[in-house]
Amino acid sequence: MKISKKQNLNIFGLIKLYVPLVAPLIILTILSNGLNLFIPKIISKSIDSYGVGGFNVLNIVIEFSTVSIGVFVLGYLQSILQTYVSEKVAKDLRTKLIEKISKKEYSFIQKISSSKILTNLTADVDSVKIFISQAISSMVSSVFLIFGVGIILFLMDWKLALSIIGVVPITITIFFLIFGKIKRLFKKAQEAIDWLNKVINESILGSAIIRLLNGQQQEYLKFLEANKEAKDIGLSIVKLFASLIPFMGFMVNIATLVILVFGGHFVVLGHMSIGDFSAFNNYLLILIFPVVMLGFISNMIAQAGASYSRICEILDSEDILQWGAKEFDFSDNIELNNISLRIDNKEILKNISFKINKNSKTAIIGPTAAGKTQLFYLLSGLIRPTGGEIRYDGISVYDYNKASFYKQIGFVFQDSIIFNITVRENIAFSNNINEQDLYKAIDTAELKDFIDSLENKLDTVITERGSNLSGGQKQRITLARALAINPKILFLDDFTARIDNKTEQKILENIKKNYPNITLISITQKISPIKDYDQIILLMEGDILMIGKHEDLLAKSSEYVQIYNSQKSINNYELHS
Amino acid sequence: MNYTLKTSSSEKSKNKNLSLSIGKLFNLIKTEKRNVFLAFMLTMLNSIITLVVPILISKAIDICIVNKQFNGMFLFIFILMILFLISLISGYFQTIIMGNVGRRILFNLRNEIFNKLQELPLAFFNQNKAGDLISRINNDTDKLNQFFAQAFNQFFEVIVSTVGVGAFMIIVKPKLGLIALLPALLVVIITKLLSEWVKNRNLKSLESLGNMSAEIQESMDNFKVVEVFNRLDYFNKRFNDFNNDNYKASIKSGISNNIFNPIYGLVSNLAQLIVLCYGIFLIIHGQFTVGLLIGFFLYVDRFYAPLRRFASVWSTVQTSLAALERISEILLLKSNLEVIQADTITENSKYIIEFKNVSFRYDVGNSIFENINFSLEKGKTYALVGPTGGGKTTTASLMARLYDPTSGEIILDGKNIKSYTKDERTKRIGFILQEPFLFTGTIKENILYGNEEYLKYSDDDFIKILKDNNLEDLIKDFENGISTKITYNTDNISLGQKQIIAFIRAILRNPEILILDEATANIDTVTEKLLEDIINKLPKTTTKVIIAHRLNTIENADQIFFVNSGITLAGNMKEAVNMLMSKERKS
Repeated sequence: MKISKKQNLNIFGLIKLYVPLVAPLIILTILSNGLNLFIPKIISKSIDSYGVGGFNVLNIVIEFSTVSIGVFVLGYLQSILQTYVSEKVAKDLRTKLIEKISKKEYSFIQKISSSKILTNLTADVDSVKIFISQAISSMVSSVFLIFGVGIILFLMDWKLALSIIGVVPITITIFFLIFGKIKRLFKKAQEAIDWLNKVINESILGSAIIRLLNGQQQEYLKFLEANKEAKDIGLSIVKLFASLIPFMGFMVNIATLVILVFGGHFVVLGHMSIGDFSAFNNYLLILIFPVVMLGFISNMIAQAGASYSRICEILDSEDILQWGAKEFDFSDNIELNNISLRIDNKEILKNISFKINKNSKTAIIGPTAAGKTQLFYLLSGLIRPTGGEIRYDGISVYDYNKASFYKQIGFVFQDSIIFNITVRENIAFSNNINEQDLYKAIDTAELKDFIDSLENKLDTVITERGSNLSGGQKQRITLARALAINPKILFLDDFTARIDNKTEQKILENIKKNYPNITLISITQKISPIKDYDQIILLMEGDILMIGKHEDLLAKSSEYVQIYNSQKSINNYELHS
Repeated sequence: MNYTLKTSSSEKSKNKNLSLSIGKLFNLIKTEKRNVFLAFMLTMLNSIITLVVPILISKAIDICIVNKQFNGMFLFIFILMILFLISLISGYFQTIIMGNVGRRILFNLRNEIFNKLQELPLAFFNQNKAGDLISRINNDTDKLNQFFAQAFNQFFEVIVSTVGVGAFMIIVKPKLGLIALLPALLVVIITKLLSEWVKNRNLKSLESLGNMSAEIQESMDNFKVVEVFNRLDYFNKRFNDFNNDNYKASIKSGISNNIFNPIYGLVSNLAQLIVLCYGIFLIIHGQFTVGLLIGFFLYVDRFYAPLRRFASVWSTVQTSLAALERISEILLLKSNLEVIQADTITENSKYIIEFKNVSFRYDVGNSIFENINFSLEKGKTYALVGPTGGGKTTTASLMARLYDPTSGEIILDGKNIKSYTKDERTKRIGFILQEPFLFTGTIKENILYGNEEYLKYSDDDFIKILKDNNLEDLIKDFENGISTKITYNTDNISLGQKQIIAFIRAILRNPEILILDEATANIDTVTEKLLEDIINKLPKTTTKVIIAHRLNTIENADQIFFVNSGITLAGNMKEAVNMLMSKERKS
């Protein structure tokens, strides 16, 4: 298990998965490089043939052109293949990441933050891509040349070859010393990008309040700090590379000097021919390019390695989400038994127990930060309690088949989440919504007039974050979305906060009429609509103070009375109207 | 002004020429002129050393080895060693200087874009996607960084060595030299022909990356709805579509980027063929020697090899030009909220806000108001009621100059609101938004956001200030008081709590006009009473504008306006309720 994890973290392990594509790429690289070596041969042959008087222009042109075009075709094929492989790897990585993320629970996304996920899916995948597209073939040809030339040199004169190769361990040591540092820096660099993303993100999402509070300068300073960090890391990386790359060139130069001194010495002593000596020199020239190339590639490998390990942090994280296989068909009740919830050592809910019967109406009321919304998340299965179990029809939520569970429950969140798709797609967001259910939901949410006023009616595209809609319009759309699945249970979180009283009353009547058997659980601030509810749960600082009907609470709970009194004036007006 | 940025290049104008965009690129290095010059000199030095070393080595071979005068070798070794060291040092500094130049340019460019984002009005953000903007600021600037970090350096080397070798060839054998250089002209023409195409393909690929980022951003932020509506398939499908688009666009741009290298290789071979044939022709006519021809091949190689390297550099240039184009699109936008000179100034105006014949429509969307007129007196409390979508928030946004009216004038304390600087205006207006937004940081940092006056206070002093303003009770529920940490998109605090913080934030600014846009919608009614008391204790001169659905929050208003695609004065509470109950919603 541990071994496989380690392999996974190594960027070269990734290549293994693409052997059928990478192997032809390597073959093409070698072929096009190899074919290129024929050109000097043709030239020397034609010069020789001139010497013996058999110079034939046409033959040479044909031969030369054939090889050149061959190199061109192979070279371009190689580059097409390498683009294809790298893009495929990028696409697959993204798909894998998204698949993994979609198996995660809501709290996971919250924890790692959307800005990091965004960097993972874009910048990180990109550097892996660059590695595949540029590093593999360069590396293959570099290593190929270095080894090839190395072997030839040894065959020619092993003593001299040894003295040159002596510089190799030094190079490798320094290379790895710097390389290790660079890899850490690249990881930090990507983290700096996460940070930048976060600041940009907040400045975009909070653009209205920034403008109202004249906070532009403050935002700029925040950005400056993150950007400066990114710059400083960048400068440290530059520093390391500035020492690495010229150093590799220097080592090659030192090798030249070694040949000059020792080789020259051997020639003078008569141990070596002058021809071999010049050949040694020429081969060394061939060595220069791949060595320098390796320096550049090391940059990519370091960056891609850092990015890939960031990606693997997500890919290798454990799946926590396990849902069962039981079909859900709500027929009896919802039961909470000693439910508690802690988040970051803070007790949000303490030993909550209550029961909700089918076809009943339940309201959860309580002051701000009483834990109402967290209770809502628990009921929806989005988060898991730290103690106790939530049972639907006597069975734990997570024993149900997820799809069948969510098919029967409509959720309306407090923050009206709207997608950048058409009104129709926003409302018929769940699968398999038929037209009849769609229109019933629209009518119930009092959206008909609004939709009719739109230019393209239901097919009007809503802008990102619903910025072209009013708060109430957004809330009604999210209600329609929940109703469109024809739910057996409807959860509302502070749903009426932004809807005017007249519309609210109409909507509540509509629900009663159009969805007569619905089990309703409503988190609310207003008492007047919940007076006739079957039970009202009064929640305060994570504790249930009392459960009962409106009259019971009014009689026994001073806190409830206080809430009721604070709303008296509304009730007066509403009674008159 | 329309702030919508292009997200697909089909609408793109094609009149841009290459030199113009390269000019843009070089504009960025203006401030780095001295460093770039220094790096250029170092490159020159390096290139000269590279050209001199082979000559020295062949001399060393001729003199010391062939003639067996090995003692002279040490002088050569000494000279070479010095040259190598110089080359090592100059190489180091050249890389470091250029690398730093790239980093600094990237740093400045990011700052510039972010600054521009801060300058632009709200309309810009409503019209563009967060993910796309992030992609522009990060990914696109990073593409530019790659250019400066890798390509820029090679640019110089290539120019120095090709010009040097080219001149050398022409001097050695003018005719053969010229003919050998002829294919280079072909390179220039092909490059010119292909560049625009390559750049456009890169532009498309960057656009698809931007679109994908926008999609990821949206899905991540809306994850819980995707989850409970069991639409992970939707999420996957949407993402896969964007992923596929990006895949296709990237393959296209990759293939076009890679075309330069094989073409340059082919041209280089063509040059060799020409030299071979013409060289042998010259030899036959006794004008050339075999030895010189072999030497000439080396020069041809020296000339075309860097040019081939230039090929890969060139695709980076094209990518960065495409990135620059997307960035420039933002940089070229101008805020339409300019500060103008006021025509008339009424001293000691009775009114804090006056709307005179104001009409408004969003850049994208229907008209909201036609010709509305009303005035708000200083120190009074006003309520705006009306059905959802009737334009209450828009009216309030106009008062705070989040937008400018399409026509008509808004007067703030006797002067056109447009004549106030950002500083003056925001100091006078406190606005609690419908959807509260908190920044990552502590509660204290969030409360003091944009509030220079209190920024200097220590935690204890700050708590005292809260106490003095009767605000202390409001934060007692937070785990760690004013030091409680907040992360912007998590649920670690509730919507109601966010509204409380936004409320404190606005009150502490001591605004002349306080606008509450359903600012307490998610706060329980008991706490709401508390907030009401705090509002009532504000200075007598503070004008309050309250938008609310809960009628109790507005019952104490001096005047109630009914807003529904227009604005009507409702006499009293009862009339307002009647209007609300009877009038048809227009939206």
